[in-house]
Amino acid sequence: MTRSPSVLIVEPSADEREVLRTVLERRGLRIWEAAGVERGLELARKHHPEVIVLDADANRSGNESIQAEFDATSTDQHSSLIVLGRISRDRSLPAGQVIAKPYHFGPLIHKIEQLAGKAA
Amino acid sequence: MATLFVMQGRDKGKRFDLRGDDITVGRDSSNRIQLNDSEVSRRHAEVRRTPEGIVLADLASSNGTFVNLEKIDQRLLKNGDRVQIGRTLFLFTDADDRSSVNLAHDIDIVGLGNVEGSRILKSVSHESGSQLFAPPDPAESPWLARARSNLQVMYRTALAVSHTLDIDQLLSRILDLIFEWVEADRGCIMLVDHETEELAPTASRNRKGVRVDGKLSISRTILDYVMQHKEGVLTSDARDDQRWNPEGSIVKLGVREAICVPMQGRYGIVGVIYIDTYTPPGQILQQRAPNKFSEEHLKLMVAIGHQAALAVEDTSYYSAMVQAERLAAMGQTIATLSHHIKNILQGIRGGSYLIEEGLKEEDNEVVRRGWRIVDKNQERISNLVMDMLTFSKDREPELVPADLNETLADVVELMQARAVEAQVQLVFQRRDDLPQFQFDPDLLHKVVLNVVTNAMNACEKREAARVEVSVEYEPGERFVHIVVADNGEGIAAEDLTRIFSVFESKKGSRGTGLGLPVSQKIMREHGGDIRVESTPAVGSRFYLELPTGVSAAVNQTLLP
Repeated sequence: MTRSPSVLIVEPSADEREVLRTVLERRGLRIWEAAGVERGLELARKHHPEVIVLDADANRSGNESIQAEFDATSTDQHSSLIVLGRISRDRSLPAGQVIAKPYHFGPLIHKIEQLAGKAA
Repeated sequence: MATLFVMQGRDKGKRFDLRGDDITVGRDSSNRIQLNDSEVSRRHAEVRRTPEGIVLADLASSNGTFVNLEKIDQRLLKNGDRVQIGRTLFLFTDADDRSSVNLAHDIDIVGLGNVEGSRILKSVSHESGSQLFAPPDPAESPWLARARSNLQVMYRTALAVSHTLDIDQLLSRILDLIFEWVEADRGCIMLVDHETEELAPTASRNRKGVRVDGKLSISRTILDYVMQHKEGVLTSDARDDQRWNPEGSIVKLGVREAICVPMQGRYGIVGVIYIDTYTPPGQILQQRAPNKFSEEHLKLMVAIGHQAALAVEDTSYYSAMVQAERLAAMGQTIATLSHHIKNILQGIRGGSYLIEEGLKEEDNEVVRRGWRIVDKNQERISNLVMDMLTFSKDREPELVPADLNETLADVVELMQARAVEAQVQLVFQRRDDLPQFQFDPDLLHKVVLNVVTNAMNACEKREAARVEVSVEYEPGERFVHIVVADNGEGIAAEDLTRIFSVFESKKGSRGTGLGLPVSQKIMREHGGDIRVESTPAVGSRFYLELPTGVSAAVNQTLLP
């Protein structure tokens, strides 16, 4: 039996994690959650999720090397990375994969499903 | 850190940090330092970081780059250098300037006994020193008397310009001083408007008792001469002075004598001071009166003009700095508040989305989850607004005799459900021997709620997490202490002083950084304060100090 695609949500707001988890689980996706980037990176390396949703605010220390590691990990593992909020100018992500805040959940969830479906 | 601060020009008040390498200065948006100045080239100059220090280089600009009034191709900048690019004047400062040496190695303060033969011969107080400038003695030689009188004027000018940071007040004082010392009928100070580069009247006055018809008209001929030649002028009698055309504006305006001096500052002329004696135009050709203005007056007016100009420059530099700081603080406040509001809005959108999904799929559990999120964020925005209002306004707490146990028990009861959810043991050690104290129960409730919420957040997810609320009180003491203790993560020593600063939060998206500043403000409005003791990884104790003094007159009956 094939496993359903998984999504890692790295998001400091418990409310937003809950919204994404509730909806995405109901759409058949497996969810991993982290409130901070350090824990998020651990989960990304362990579970190789198909999609990583990273809120820029999750990097509270502003440590740019962690963000770079995130980029590298998602590339190595062929995970699609969606960044919520602002990112530093020197980071390059494919167009449409940075979503400015405040965002609407409908299009975000649609995007996650699309990327997870493509990977699966 | 090195900075360029704009002292003059349309960007006045802006400060540019010279971080990073090779910063270009110019008119178009590709420059890190973009200037709103039509006399600046598109790419005008470049600031380069070299091993020797910070170097400014001109990039073949049309109007050139100047450092301390000297045109440069390339120049190593030193602290305090003035950089002119187009009409924009910068002050360069570098906190790490290598030219600043530590004089502590060269200068020692030693006991008097250590220096052979040093003894105090005479001491002079400030008052005795000022006697040097006392009005001259009639018995003195006229030369000495005049010199002393001039010195006194300059001394008083120096005092007048050193006492204010308000330009209008400063100029008015200068005019008062001039009128005390010379018999002028009318006087005016005009400052150069940096936008138009035209002189604009800023202060004026007439001698008391002198009737001057209409408004003060100042001769363009005199102003142009002073500004162009950068010299002060004295017209002993306008009709006889060869410099002025008899048909010119001086004669026509009824001016008999006038002194006009430039206000020459460090960076250029900031304005002019003008005084004259006035005779109505119809009488000017008939009247002959002794001259009131002399060359001595002119020289002293030039010196006063220079002093006043330095003060105007300092004041305007200071005002620009204050304005820049204010704008920066306001920008920071708006950015922080926008961030919090954005997070709350995001929460409301998330909750609404869940409600919508739940309704679509007729799943009440999802609707309930969504509503809980909406409700929580509604509460967050309400708290944020109330905290902002409390922080922005000074207000007197409504002090009433009240029961401290009741207020504390209310908070603990309110937080108990959250404590269970967060697996934190929340305990209130009630003291039954407390008298009533004078405080505002609603405001104190808010403070204790803030501090208890923080304490619970600090120890959430820790083993045997515990928050204890207790009261320390001894009859006769000036303060009663409400103690909120937790065994949470604690606060690092370097953060202890910052936690009461507005918008400093260690709770990420959950905190607004207003809770503790607002709580401290409320306690201070009560005449008390908040203190904190903390050990990282062990826990924190917050002491809310409430004065007991006012309670002496009220009911001291022990509560049941």
